Amino acid sequence: MAAVADPAEKKQLFERLSSVREIVFGVQDGVLTTAGVLCGLSGAVSQHSQVALAALASTAAGALSMAAGAYLGGRAETEVLRAELELVRAEAAAKPYTVQEGLLDELCKEGLDREAGYRIVRLLSTAPKALESTAEAKMFGLGGSMLGTPAIDGVVMGIAFLVGALIPLLPYMLIKVPRYDLGGALGATALTLFSVGYFEGWLAHRRDRWRSGMRFLAIAMSAAAAGYLIGLAISPLGATAG
Amino acid sequence: MLKPGDPAPPFDLECALNDRIARCSLAKISTELVLIFFYPRDFSFVCPTEVTGFNNALKEFTAEDTAIAGVSIDNVDSHLRWARELGGIGYPLFADPDGSLARAYGVFDDAEKVALRATFILDRKRKVVFAVSCPLNVGRSVVETLRIVRALRTGQLCPADWKPGVEFGPSDREF
Repeated sequence: MAAVADPAEKKQLFERLSSVREIVFGVQDGVLTTAGVLCGLSGAVSQHSQVALAALASTAAGALSMAAGAYLGGRAETEVLRAELELVRAEAAAKPYTVQEGLLDELCKEGLDREAGYRIVRLLSTAPKALESTAEAKMFGLGGSMLGTPAIDGVVMGIAFLVGALIPLLPYMLIKVPRYDLGGALGATALTLFSVGYFEGWLAHRRDRWRSGMRFLAIAMSAAAAGYLIGLAISPLGATAG
Repeated sequence: MLKPGDPAPPFDLECALNDRIARCSLAKISTELVLIFFYPRDFSFVCPTEVTGFNNALKEFTAEDTAIAGVSIDNVDSHLRWARELGGIGYPLFADPDGSLARAYGVFDDAEKVALRATFILDRKRKVVFAVSCPLNVGRSVVETLRIVRALRTGQLCPADWKPGVEFGPSDREF
């Protein structure tokens, strides 16, 4: 008989998985942004060191910006959710009948007959905390677990961006042969994005993990190609200004 | 919704009464007044406070020669189980599963597919002498309903907040 997953372990796993969004978003954005910057500047600027320096500056600014954005966005979301939860709890305390009726309606919509739903809500009503959390989840789709950890999200996002950005940047800085430097950066970018896509497919228990990886790769190539073409297009402006 | 002076639509429906299923009609009720209260659903959290509230005051309504009839769209089996759940109800809970009686009284909520929380009091001629409806989420006052019944039975003009023992209002001519 297959062992049933320990609910506590599963809950911890779900909490860890909530950072996947930040990791995937950060790495993907870091890799794509930096690869785009390298491609764009390589098209516009001839000096290797200037391109590397500009990409490094872009990486630092991007990591800080992404970390701050994730923190501020997460904090705003948490505050709004917390305020909504407090309103819901105040209403539940002031009008328990309406909460009970609302929860009963939701349970009936999910297929329970009215009598069974009534008995469940009545049983839940003997433990106000249980009634409160169930009503929040069923009636409003709200839950304590939705209150994220903005500071951790911000740090994870910043580090993920940094790691992602260094992947194309390091080969570019180490390989100082024209064209090969960009080729190395794009190769590392492609491999990383494919790996992130494959990893995401693995986490989601998908069978077609290769397709997931290829999707990321296709996005990377499109962004890099677009960046390079834009760089080529604006390079005459640089020559005029110089 | 019916208003005072309208003839009450007759009915002959299954009901749960004294822990058994029965059939009862308006024509067979012989009391001076008949109090019909519509409520949305069995197995809910506002309705039982009304259903048990009227049951707790049943003796007082009986003393006023007033019969009570509860009506909802639930079937009679549901009423029977609901009445047991509430510890027994001494007046009939009528089953109006297709809502036809609620529609006849003009208190069927088409959006929610339930009867509104409406109360009617019928006189000896089975004409409506009192009609009121409440929002679905607000329960009625049994005490106020009993006060209305007592006021109606005086046959006098009763001022605002009249209660038994309080002087009656002005004469017909002054009113």
